[in-house]
Amino acid sequence: MEDTSKDDKIALGDLLPQEINGWRAETKDEIYDPQTIFDYIDGAGEVYRSYNFKKLLARRFTKEGKPDIVADLFDMEKSNDAFGVFTHDLEGEDAGIGQGSTYNGGLLSFWKDRFFVSLYSEEETEDTRKALFALGEKVASSIKQEGKKPDVVSLLPSENLAEKSAHYFHNHLILNYHFYVSDENILLLDQQTEAALGIYGEDNEKSYLLVVHYTEGDKASQAHKSFMQSYMPDATEMGLVQTEDLKWTAAKLYQDFIIIIFNAPSRFLAIGTIEKVEKRIGQI
Amino acid sequence: MKKRAITRRDFLRVAAVTPFAGAFASGFRIQEKKEAASRAKVVLIRDKNALISFKKPNPGVIRKMLDDGITTLLGETDPINAWKKLVKPSDIVGIKSNVWRPIPTTSEVEQALKARIMDAGVAEENIGIDDRGVRRNRIFKDATVLINARPARTHHWSGMGGCIKNHIMFVPSPFAYHGDSCADLATLWYKHNLKKRTKLNVLLMLNPLFHGIGPHHYSDKYVWEYKGILVSQDPVAVDAIGVRILQAKRREYFGEERPLQPPAKHIYLADTRHNLGVSDPDKIELIKLGWEEGILI
Repeated sequence: MEDTSKDDKIALGDLLPQEINGWRAETKDEIYDPQTIFDYIDGAGEVYRSYNFKKLLARRFTKEGKPDIVADLFDMEKSNDAFGVFTHDLEGEDAGIGQGSTYNGGLLSFWKDRFFVSLYSEEETEDTRKALFALGEKVASSIKQEGKKPDVVSLLPSENLAEKSAHYFHNHLILNYHFYVSDENILLLDQQTEAALGIYGEDNEKSYLLVVHYTEGDKASQAHKSFMQSYMPDATEMGLVQTEDLKWTAAKLYQDFIIIIFNAPSRFLAIGTIEKVEKRIGQI
Repeated sequence: MKKRAITRRDFLRVAAVTPFAGAFASGFRIQEKKEAASRAKVVLIRDKNALISFKKPNPGVIRKMLDDGITTLLGETDPINAWKKLVKPSDIVGIKSNVWRPIPTTSEVEQALKARIMDAGVAEENIGIDDRGVRRNRIFKDATVLINARPARTHHWSGMGGCIKNHIMFVPSPFAYHGDSCADLATLWYKHNLKKRTKLNVLLMLNPLFHGIGPHHYSDKYVWEYKGILVSQDPVAVDAIGVRILQAKRREYFGEERPLQPPAKHIYLADTRHNLGVSDPDKIELIKLGWEEGILI
């Protein structure tokens, strides 16, 4: 599952235009790295660090009497992580830009190759919306290569998978953001583990399927033991338990993967889902 | 002894007998309850004319709102006498502000606070206003009193940005507090004597952000003109009321229960684990003044 998309010669600033629909770039770009990102992003800086980002270029565009437009271009180094950070926040309409995109409330975001791009206007107007889409198209066309999605995501069965609900990540901070499991890192996730979380069903009947790929079989085995002891010490030999909300959780170690289904409505569905993922692992 | 992990199943056990929304609080309380403060007082003041335009506070109205809030909070009729309960002429006072670009504390609020601190006898040169520079600011280093003033908003990593979180710039590595969605933010209040030095918490609800998107966790789409200010001497209580208003707005806007993501559990843990203040609404005396339309609480 190694991602190979790399072209270190690409200069981030060259991927962004100096002008778009009358908005002109301010003279100086700002560059941030994982140590300095909190100087720029108060809210979600930790998210980008969780996806191993290398560099962020921020360019502000201004136009007389109009709201500013801000372009944030993240070099994630690997397309897996560009895709992953895009899946962190999937709210909004599909904008049809790059390899996956959303538009919501004056924010256009997309991923392509190893880049994640966030474009937003400080106020949303019809003009800013047009400018954001034009800017997005321009940046996407400047990025010549396409990236590959992480293989682990393809292990999530598509049947009943809720729209825009598949997330890819590495560590337990992001897992807990999407689905709270534990305050401790009981699955021994780290910056090298690759995990996919899919949400199935709707409203109060949601099930959560987690597939984690460890870099070594030993690590997967240790993580499975840790999870079973902390989360489901009362599980049957099949790795199945009915939780306090009368739903079912099942977990299985398979090769160097751990497969867990949370909140399944029945034991049969829990076991069946695990088996489906096992089959898919056998096919990759 | 090794600390036992708290898992989702601990919350499910509690949720079997209480609503899930409260499970985080109750779950931690079961295991971690210390002897906490018994009660707290919070004043909510709202004024229909608090904003001149979207995001632009009306200075005169803001001054009156703060005066009404602080006199009610401290049981005085005269605002200067109320402020004299918080500061004395010999004090050095730091107003811990918040410069977050989309919704800052605003100069209108900062100057209203500063004017009253001066009215209470503190020399202007002994009053500082700062946010990201507090660790380098001489006044904040020497401050005998801190006034903590910031807007309420949802926050990508802690659930809510409120008064508890506003003191994070006093520590050298803010990201060191990000573990478990900022669960233990309250511990920073025990550094640099912040708990003792902070005499007043002002949580601005003039135009709060109730939902965030994107890297900067912001869109005008999710800001509404609530035109309120919360004041309290208890940073936990003021945040506990603020988060209830944000959650009520989310319920109203989305038409369904849409819990904060992540939950703002640092507020509950500030009470139940760290004994910083009161988070239990049943133990908070909430006094509401002014405009009632759309009050949500």
